[in-house]
Amino acid sequence: MSGEFTRPRFRLAPYVEVAKTAMTLEATYRFDVFSSVASVLVRIYILRTVWVALYTHNAAPANLPLHSILTYSTIAMLMSLVMDIDQTRALHNSLHDGSIVTDFTKPISVPLYFFANGTGEVLFHALLILPALAFALLIVHIDVPSAATLVTFFISFALGYCVGFCINFILNCTAFWTLETSAVQMIVTWITDLAGGELIPLVLFPAALQQVLIFLPFAAMFSTPLLIYIGEITPSHYLEAIGFQVLWLAVLAGISAVIWRRGVRRLVVQGG
Amino acid sequence: MAMIETAGLRKVFRSVKRRPGITGAIAALFSREYEDKVAVDDVTMAVEGGELVGYLGPNGAGKSTTIKMLTGILVPTGGTIRVAGLVPHRRRLDNAQNIGVVFGQRSQLYWDLPLRESFSLLRSIYDVPRDRYLQNLNHFAEILDLERFMDTPVRQLSLGERMRGDFAAAMMHDPKIVYLDEPTIGLDVVAKEAIREFIAQVNRERGTTVVLTTHDLADVERLARRVILIDEGRIIFDGPLERLRNEYGTHRTLVITFAENYPEVKLEGAHIESREGNVVRLRFDRRRVSAEALIRQAMEQYEISDIAIIEPDIDTIVRRIYREGYQAAGERTTS
Repeated sequence: MSGEFTRPRFRLAPYVEVAKTAMTLEATYRFDVFSSVASVLVRIYILRTVWVALYTHNAAPANLPLHSILTYSTIAMLMSLVMDIDQTRALHNSLHDGSIVTDFTKPISVPLYFFANGTGEVLFHALLILPALAFALLIVHIDVPSAATLVTFFISFALGYCVGFCINFILNCTAFWTLETSAVQMIVTWITDLAGGELIPLVLFPAALQQVLIFLPFAAMFSTPLLIYIGEITPSHYLEAIGFQVLWLAVLAGISAVIWRRGVRRLVVQGG
Repeated sequence: MAMIETAGLRKVFRSVKRRPGITGAIAALFSREYEDKVAVDDVTMAVEGGELVGYLGPNGAGKSTTIKMLTGILVPTGGTIRVAGLVPHRRRLDNAQNIGVVFGQRSQLYWDLPLRESFSLLRSIYDVPRDRYLQNLNHFAEILDLERFMDTPVRQLSLGERMRGDFAAAMMHDPKIVYLDEPTIGLDVVAKEAIREFIAQVNRERGTTVVLTTHDLADVERLARRVILIDEGRIIFDGPLERLRNEYGTHRTLVITFAENYPEVKLEGAHIESREGNVVRLRFDRRRVSAEALIRQAMEQYEISDIAIIEPDIDTIVRRIYREGYQAAGERTTS
């Protein structure tokens, strides 16, 4: 018999396989896939119409010409293809119907399993960004920044995704204690849409409100990468902006870990 | 060393006591009263490798809680537990590699994917060598007749087909022990038999230790040589099925169809259980009077057209033990 505290060798293969399975699964919901791309294109068109109308009748705000705002809202909508996915819904469902019990009878780390599962789902939707972008270019023209800015944008986007993942994970973890979480999640989605700068750039908000919003984690999800893309955040401020995202990610990952541990404790002590 | 060993295993759940009404709910926000519920009180058992044990008890007796502790999902409140030499909740991952689980009421298969894909994912999760996996896959596909629906999404399968898939899934990594929680619930007779045959075969040919929890005592009669009865968190019987039958199934029923309607039927050593026209059911203790003596007695006194003896089935015995308590049921038969 091996020692009591040796850990089994970590294998990545199962998680890759879980992610692949999740991707396959997403691909089977074809109607869902088409409608999510279609809805993004419709939203891009509507936002374009609204911004063009607003800019025609009003003076453009400083630093934010029409082409910038159109680029901003188009990129924001494309980002939403992956950002708006409830990627840890499977955890919530598993807690809800009790199948979390079978998840724990498998020789894998359960939180990593859900992370892999969610990542698989998201990766599939990320593949949709390209065709969606191709169609979007028929509706609007978008600015293409320098290579350095693009790279920074992608780093910032990845960080924003992870921040969003943690928020989503924490929300779905509440199913350890309360069975119904959809109302809270809907409220958070609305807050994210507005306070994250997905619909309207935070720089257009009243100054006082802006000062509050840019310090919230929602801004780290959408606003930061988007403002980097359109050049509102200049290269000299990249480090600061990304540092702030990393900070939020660290805080939220910490909270996630604590909530997960408490939830599991409740599960293994209370039996759910 | 036994495959499964527990000593004084205990699990107490603590829950917030709910007070009635809105005022109660508001009061609960400020001060909470807790209520302890003993799910498993004191369970000591040893199951050897290769055994097939029926773990039985009425709803809420503590069966599922015990199984959850054996799988490492629940942490015991007290007592000790070892499964294949490991403490399950301390070594959940290692323990998981040793066990297979089938919960009749929930599936571990991906609902929207064909069985084949779920199996392939399990291969990766349990790190089953490819050769061994293919061997198992072919073997299970054959004895469970899976080939026909291997590539159909699970949601389109019948309950019987899905359960067969779940059994194959639980066995794909050659577990040393399988826990089956109500594996035949809701299945029709044919599907039940297929599942039972599979369990028997796996136990016989692979030497897999099986712990079977069920309400369908036909499962137990067909499969288990040993039963453990649990009630209110304690073991009330642990032994061969035969012993249970011998000790508690001491009463037989003699059904006599008389040729004519006798106003009064009386046989020494038996009492009338029910009567319907010419058909009379008589109950007797086989240790006091033999069926043969009773029949002779009856034939001397009455004109008889048909006779049948009904053996008590395990269902009747177990139900009686639950209803009357272990000791009470025992006392009555020995008095």
